[in-house]
Parts: sequence; C-alpha cells; structure tokens
Amino acid sequence: MSLTFIKNQNSDEEIFEILNPIVRTWFKNKFKTFSEPQKYAIIPIHKKENILVSAPTGSGKTLTAFTSIINELINLSEENKLENRVYVVYISPLKALSNDIEINLIKPLQEMASQSNKSFGIRIGVRTGDTKAADKQKMLRATPHIIITTPESLALMLSSIKFSELLKDVQYCIVDEIHSLAENKRGTHLSLSLERLGKMSEDMIRIGLSATVAPLEEIAQFLVGSKRNCKIADVQHLKKYDLKVISPVSDLINITQYQLHHKLYSLLDELLEQHKTTLIFTNTRAGTERVVHHLKEKFPKKYIENIAAHHGSLSKKHRLDVEQKLREGKLKAVVCSTSLELGIDIGFIDLVICLGSPKSVARFVQRVGRSGHALHDTVKGRLIVLDRDDLVECSVLLKSAIEKKIDKIHIPKNCLDVLAQQIFGMAIQRIWNVDNLFKLIKQAYPYRDLQRKDFDEIIKYLAGEYSSLENRYIYAKIWYDQKTKNIGKRGKLARVLYMTNIGTIPDETSVKVKIGEQVIGSIDEVFLERLKRGDIFVLGGSTYQFLFSRGTVAQVKAVPEKNPTVPSWFSEMLPLSFDLANDIQKFRRYVEDLFVNKKTKEEIIKFINEYLYLDNNSANAIYEYFNEQYLYSEIPDDRKLLIEFYHDEKNKKYVVFHSLYGRRVNDVLSRAVAYAIAKIQKRDVEIGINDNGFYLSSYQNMQVLRAFELLTGENLEEVMKRAIEKTEVLKRRFRHCAMRALMILRSYKGRVKKVGRQTVSSMILLKAVKAIDNDFSILKEARREVLQDLMDIENAKKVLAEIKSGKVEVKQIHTTLPTPFAFNLVLQGYTDVMKMEDKIEFIRRMHDMVLAKIYQK
Amino acid sequence: MKILDNIEIVDLALKYKDYLIFGDLHLGFEESLVNQGILVPYSQIDQVIKSVNKIIEKAKPKIIIINGDLKDEFGRISQQEWRDSLKFIDSLKEKYKLIFIKGNHDTILEPIARKRDIEIKEKLDIDSISIIHGDAIVKNLKKTVIISHEHPAISFKERPDERFKCFLKGKYKSHNLIVMPSFNPLIEGSDITKEKFLSPYLKDLRNFEIFIVEDKVYNFGKLKEIK
Repeated sequence: MSLTFIKNQNSDEEIFEILNPIVRTWFKNKFKTFSEPQKYAIIPIHKKENILVSAPTGSGKTLTAFTSIINELINLSEENKLENRVYVVYISPLKALSNDIEINLIKPLQEMASQSNKSFGIRIGVRTGDTKAADKQKMLRATPHIIITTPESLALMLSSIKFSELLKDVQYCIVDEIHSLAENKRGTHLSLSLERLGKMSEDMIRIGLSATVAPLEEIAQFLVGSKRNCKIADVQHLKKYDLKVISPVSDLINITQYQLHHKLYSLLDELLEQHKTTLIFTNTRAGTERVVHHLKEKFPKKYIENIAAHHGSLSKKHRLDVEQKLREGKLKAVVCSTSLELGIDIGFIDLVICLGSPKSVARFVQRVGRSGHALHDTVKGRLIVLDRDDLVECSVLLKSAIEKKIDKIHIPKNCLDVLAQQIFGMAIQRIWNVDNLFKLIKQAYPYRDLQRKDFDEIIKYLAGEYSSLENRYIYAKIWYDQKTKNIGKRGKLARVLYMTNIGTIPDETSVKVKIGEQVIGSIDEVFLERLKRGDIFVLGGSTYQFLFSRGTVAQVKAVPEKNPTVPSWFSEMLPLSFDLANDIQKFRRYVEDLFVNKKTKEEIIKFINEYLYLDNNSANAIYEYFNEQYLYSEIPDDRKLLIEFYHDEKNKKYVVFHSLYGRRVNDVLSRAVAYAIAKIQKRDVEIGINDNGFYLSSYQNMQVLRAFELLTGENLEEVMKRAIEKTEVLKRRFRHCAMRALMILRSYKGRVKKVGRQTVSSMILLKAVKAIDNDFSILKEARREVLQDLMDIENAKKVLAEIKSGKVEVKQIHTTLPTPFAFNLVLQGYTDVMKMEDKIEFIRRMHDMVLAKIYQK
Repeated sequence: MKILDNIEIVDLALKYKDYLIFGDLHLGFEESLVNQGILVPYSQIDQVIKSVNKIIEKAKPKIIIINGDLKDEFGRISQQEWRDSLKFIDSLKEKYKLIFIKGNHDTILEPIARKRDIEIKEKLDIDSISIIHGDAIVKNLKKTVIISHEHPAISFKERPDERFKCFLKGKYKSHNLIVMPSFNPLIEGSDITKEKFLSPYLKDLRNFEIFIVEDKVYNFGKLKEIK
C-alpha cells in the first residue's frame, strides 16, 4: 500500500490530449482552462488510479470527479459498447443533492449532446430512501450507468439479489463529502459497503471528495482500505481568507448580561446590513431559535420573512424550503446550528458568522468555506465572542486557520454494531465462508485491526446463540454451519427485517411537549428524566414550566416572564478539538513566561497582538484576563496542570482541574478521578465538565490527590469501564448500538415504531443484556463508543502518561474564591453525578434527611 | 412495618391476617419485549417465583391473592410462558388457597383460572377491606381500599435517574386508600413526583404517605414534605 501526494499539476494541453473531442470542445467553450482540482485529478482518474481530492466547496470538485468519467462513457457510447449496467456509483451523505448533480452532471452531458448533435444514451439514476418502488423496478430494465445514492441505499442495493447483479462490474465509485462520513458510524458502515462493492467489481477505482480535513493520509486510507494505493490531491487552501474575531463590547467583564445581549444584536444587525446574505452558525438548536427570535423581536421592521432558522429538529419540508429560498437569494440571513456545514449548494453567501467558538479549526474552515462562491473569491468569516474564554479560544483558532494548521479527525474503529448489520446484509445477499468474510472485512480501514474473537462473537450473536435453542427462531438472523464455516440468511422475514431497519443514525427517543392538546415541540427522553415538577426550561426560545409527564408526553405551561431553573440540554455541545486545546495551552505558557520575565504591559499586548492576529481591543482584553489570573495565582498551561481547592459559603468543597484538553478528554479524566474518590469514600461526587477543565464537588472532604495518583495510563481503561457502568450515557448509547446491530428493531412484523413509542426503559434493556453476558458484544461496543468516540480515552491516557513522566507538573493551589480561569466552569454547574453510595445507603440518607426536616417543625 | 391498622408491608406484598396480597406480576415480559421489536431475551419468571416464595416463607399466609395483571398485555402467550405460568400457579396452589382479582391486562387469566379451577373476582372484601385492581370504579367499597395497577415509584433530586418502588397511603373520598407497587422486577414504575396517574382513585397525591421498600421499609412521610 502506498499513499502519494500529487506534486505537479497537469497542463491544460496534457488534459485536453486525453479527452474525447466532444468533451474537449465543451470544456474549452465553457471554461477555457481547468481549475486546480481538475489539473490534479482528471488524469489520475483517467488512468484509473484511486484518488482523494481535498478542496474547498465551490472549487468544482464534483465536476473534477465526473470529467474523466463522462469522457469514458462518451467514448464507450460512440463505440456502441455501453452496456445495461452500472459503471459509476456516486455516494453522498445528503439525500437532497439534485441541484448539484444537475449542474455538474446532467447539464454538461446535455450541452455536450446538443453541441455535437449526438445522443449518448447515458442514463443517470437517483436511488435514495425516497425513491419509489416503481422507479427502482424501472432501474432493473433500463439500468442507470451512473447511479447517485446514499450510504444506506447502497447497502440495500448490495443486498438485493437482482440489483446487486447490475453492480458486478462498476468502474468508478465516488464518495462525496468523505470527511463528514469518516468521523461517524455512517462512514464505518460505508467502508464495509465499499469492500463489498469492490469484491464484486475488481476493476473499480475509488474517488474521494473532501472539504478541508486532516490528516489527509488517514482519510485516503479510509477511502481505499488498508491494502490499496491512493493518490492525494491537496488543494485545500485555494481561497483567500478574510477572517476576524470580534467582540460586541470592548470590555467583556464589566458588563451586564442585558447590555451584552443588546450590543450583540446591534452588532449582528450591523453585519447583516453590510452584506447581501449572511449565514450564522450557533452550534446548538436552542441557540438557533434564540437568535432568530431576538432578531425578529428587536428589528421587527427589518427581519420578518427574510430570515430563517435551519436545524435538525425542524421538519424536512421547512429545511428544504429554507434552502430553496437561499438559492433564490430571497433571504437576508439564515441561522443554523451546524446543519448547513455540509456542501449542498445554498447559493450566494457573502458572510459567515460563528456565534461562539466552532471548536475545531477544520469545522471553522468548512463553515467559512460556504461563503464566496467562485473559486478565487475571498472567504469572509467572523467569530463573535461573548466571554473571555471564548475570546481566547476563538483567537487561537483563528491563528490556526490562518496558518493552515488543521486539527486531526477521529475515525471510529472496530465498531461491532455496524459490523453485525453489514454481516447480516451480506448473509442476505449470498452464502459466505466466515474465513473469507473476515479477510474481506479487515480490508476496510476502520476494521484493519479487528480481532478474530470479536468477529466470532458477532457471528454467534447473529446466529442467535445468546438465546435458548427453543426460542432461537425468534432471535437468530443468520444460520451458521460450524462444519463448512458458512453463514447464510435465516427465515423468510430476514430480508424485510433488514430492508426496513438498516441505518446508523440513531433515533433519539424524544418526548412531545404539550400545553393541553397543543404540541409545543419535543425534548430528549434523557432530559425529561432530569426534570422535576416545577422546573423551568427553554424550548424554541420560550420558557416553560414542567407540570407532569405521561408516557411520551410532557405537559408544561408557558411562563414567559420567568428565568429557566435548569440548564439547557448540553449533550449537543460541540467538543473542543484536542489539537486546538493544546495550542491554547501553549499560548497560555508563552504569555505566562512574559509575566514571569517581568515584561511590560505594552510588550505583552504587542506579543498577543502579533501572535494571534488580533486588534488592540481584543489583545487588551486577553491581557487583562491573563493578568488577573496571574496576579491572583498562576496560569495553568501545557506543562503545568493546576488543581485548585476552595469551598463555597455552604462549605461545599470544590476541586477544579485546569485541564484544558477539551471536554472529550475531560469527560474521561473527571469521571476516572470521581470514581476513585467515590470508591475510597463511598459517596456520590458531583462533576462539572467543560472544554477548559473540570471540577468535582461534595460536602465531604475529597481525597482528590490520592485518587488522582492512583490513575495511570495502564489502569485507566478498567477504571473507566466501571465508572461509566451506571451512567445515563452508557444506557443511551447501548440503545443506539442495539438498534444498529438490529437487536432492537424500529420496524418489526409490519409494525413501525415511532420514535419515543419505546416504552421499555434503557435501564431494563441494560439489565436484560447483562443477564445474557456482561461482556456481550453489543454492550462492549456501547462501552467502546462511549470511551473512544464520545469521550477520548486515548488522549486522556497520553495526558496521564505525561504527568507520570514529569513532563507535565501538577500544582495545587488553595483559594477562597475561584480563580478567573475557573469561573465559567464553576458557574455552569454540574453535568453529572458519580454514584457510589449503593441504593440502600442512599435511601437511608434520604430518609434521615426527611426525618430531620420533620423534627425541625 | 404496619402501613395501616393490621395491614403490614412484607417486602413488596401486603399481609392482613392470613391473607397475603401481591401486586401486578406482569409475567411474560420477554414476549412483550419481542413484540416491541426488542430481541433481548429476558426471562424473569424464575426471579419472580423465587421472591414470591421468600415472602411467603416470611409471612406464612393461608390465602394468596394476586391483585390483577398476572400476565403482561402484549400478544399471545408462548408455550414456554404458558408452562411457566402454570408451573408458578401450581406451586402455590398445592399449599394455599388462591384468589385472582381481575386486572385490565388479563387476557389469559380466565383460561388459566378455568384450567386450574381458581376463583376470579372483580372485588374481594375481607372484613373492612376491599381489594380491587384499580383501573375502574367499583361500587360498594369498604372503609379501606387496596389497589395496584399504577406501579408507583419515586425519585429524588439527588439522583433523578433512579426510581424506587413505593407503597402509597392516602384517601379516596372517605375511604383509606393503599396503592401497591408492581411486583415485577423489570417494571420500575411511574415516578409520582412527575407523572400523572390515570386511575380514577388517584387525583392529588400531595397528602399521600410514601413507604419505600429496600432492605427494610422506610416511611418517608407525605409527598409534599419530600419535594
């Protein structure tokens, strides 16, 4: 296997040389010269080499991929050799990409046909979850030469006996937006489908199209698997950047929330006024709703129909409507959570605003890439910060973006739930020998290190070996013959069951929120679990008081004048990337060095100014922030982990770890330490986590340092396995994994369950599966997902190792009030409780409390 | 612990004189999981039999009352469950008199009762006590009414995601009302601090007393005191 970055572009002449005269003429008339991605990629595709093309949105990536392919198909057509089968499979994570395909494929073909007065007879078909059965039937007779599809529909086609026949000699497979697939289980699923397709079509090359992402080598391997070669065309940094961090006020500390709020919307209004169409990212759904609401409220004459919200909880119809209006240029601004990060064509955008940190450099670059549509346009992005931590974070992020330091992507590995789903799909297609199957699976990059033991467990699971022999007819999905080592599908329902249940995107079990019979919206089931009667929370920009719930409905009343008493749902918060976190830590160290070396204020501001590409106001604000921290105690950094002890007026003890590693790592460290403390002292410990650190709190003294010292890179895995055992997050992820592994079915015996109709609690499910085996493969996968994908145990181990080796020094400080750097963290409140006290002890303590209360009266 | 006069809480059951009353058993949970598309086999019947026997040993009754919902509501019964249910009933029938109170989920109660010749009642009166399932209004009730059906449980602010099964004691009109928790270990129950109950007997729970059973019975006083 080898991965090679393409160093030299091809010249126009070289490319024209290989093109059919019809394609050549069309290109010359249309563009005159080739774009940079085209100069890198057309010839390798023509030579049938695997290639990854990484370039910004709007740089003609799609056409780049299709040029050589159209050329080849036209050649075949002219020679009368075009057969009734699929030559090209184009896979996109998005269903609604007809516009993109229209521009980059259908129109060019039409123009070439009319210009040459020929009809090529090249058929293009779209097959997604929305495609009607009749249209699918048609595809069997008049097969599309180019098929446009999604990862899920591809898997369905591969398992369809008739359709998979037509996929036997595919020449090209294009994976669009591969960066967005690689980082989640949809991509893991796709990686196996690609191997299945590759097995049927041995001449097939793979073409990956990606936005800005790092490291490209890993994405390339993800594309081609662990054995094949791949070329890489890196044209990521073509556009010119105009990027800035701005703060709505010059002083972020001596200001009331009300003033800040007011200034923020004036600033937004000003920016919107200066631009034709602005795209605003808010990170969360709640934030999106809030911003739209306030813009309309504050400027009722300016913003009514011309601004819109776009996020995942809104109906599909609403979202498509917004996208259409955007393309037609009818909107002044669109506010979205993260939903418009992906590359559907959304027309002309001349400004991208990120409200709050985008948390990763790659994400920021992808977002701002949505502006400035033509290739050499300038990309305009503004990061608006609302507090001092945000200011520091966004400033370092800006520096990385300008200096093109992209943070690394995380690709999930060895996902057993996805594996189960795919093996089931393969067994439906035909009989497989398990040894050959194992070899094939290991060719996919995410499974290159798959253990045979884990694979065998999945075969056993699918064969229903976890249930009693008598009931196996209910639970087994495949048969497994130990003598021949073959597997195949089992039961008449297998195919239907597979077809109606596949997919990797979890259904969140949500609960309807109603006032009487009127539906207000929905909240997550887990969020409901935390609500108590009388709690006030924000939904869709308004505040509601929770009254009671029954089944899947929560009844509330509107309390517009009241403030929320419970924090908004935090699970959708984006985590800060580890690489960016390290850069912020490094910056902290540089600044502290200047303080230690007694540099003047001017010198330090000058340094901040130059190092971070900031204006004076912002540099000054950062200086003040760091100065306060330095004068009060010390500045924590990448070589010094500060642990801060204090207690509040009720004598509740707090221990703050200034571990700026991002919340994925802090999730691990905080729970591991809390687990160790709770284990030593047998009490629940409260945990508060954010990207900049974490705190533990309790009314008892906590033996934090002793607990922290017990942790090592070696025992962390085992400690964490225990620490997450009773958490909500494990239960929830187990449900997701069980659905992916088809252990929980959305649709069964003709009944489709609506999300939220599942009455069986996650707790019972977990109990039931543990009764089978505490290390049942799907449960094992849920633990892996929590520790590796949701949290970041690998980097947490590295952090611990650096502490043990002395590379990072641990320093304790005792304060009476939290230091400035700890302030936001403590203010945000706790995110979870590490339960250690057992059920009976807990009830005894609650009982004592009630008795005490009664006696007081 | 006595919950009222001579009515005593024994684990998740109630004892009065020679009578021992069990709440909803909901056998056949495995089947109900399958019918919901959840293919996680889980048979709780052995566990149920074991805990029933443990309580019987402690309480030493002569008559056993199953207060409704012997079987879970979903689907038809599998061979295995049918056998298990019969086995369970036979194990009790040998030594004790058995009485069933009809519940709202009991599609198979009648065939089983017929097969084993067991009485089924809508309401059972013993002295000044009426035992009913609690899903519908029944007339001519005695001074004290015992219902199951609603599976009460409670959670605490300190641990919002964990529920504790509990008995409730309060008033229905001029009657004393006792609500039993579900007996089935897989049914955690409905959280009385936030869920609304459908039973016509339960309107306002604020003045209901709460009894949690863990290693022993804990009287938590009135619901309004806890919150």
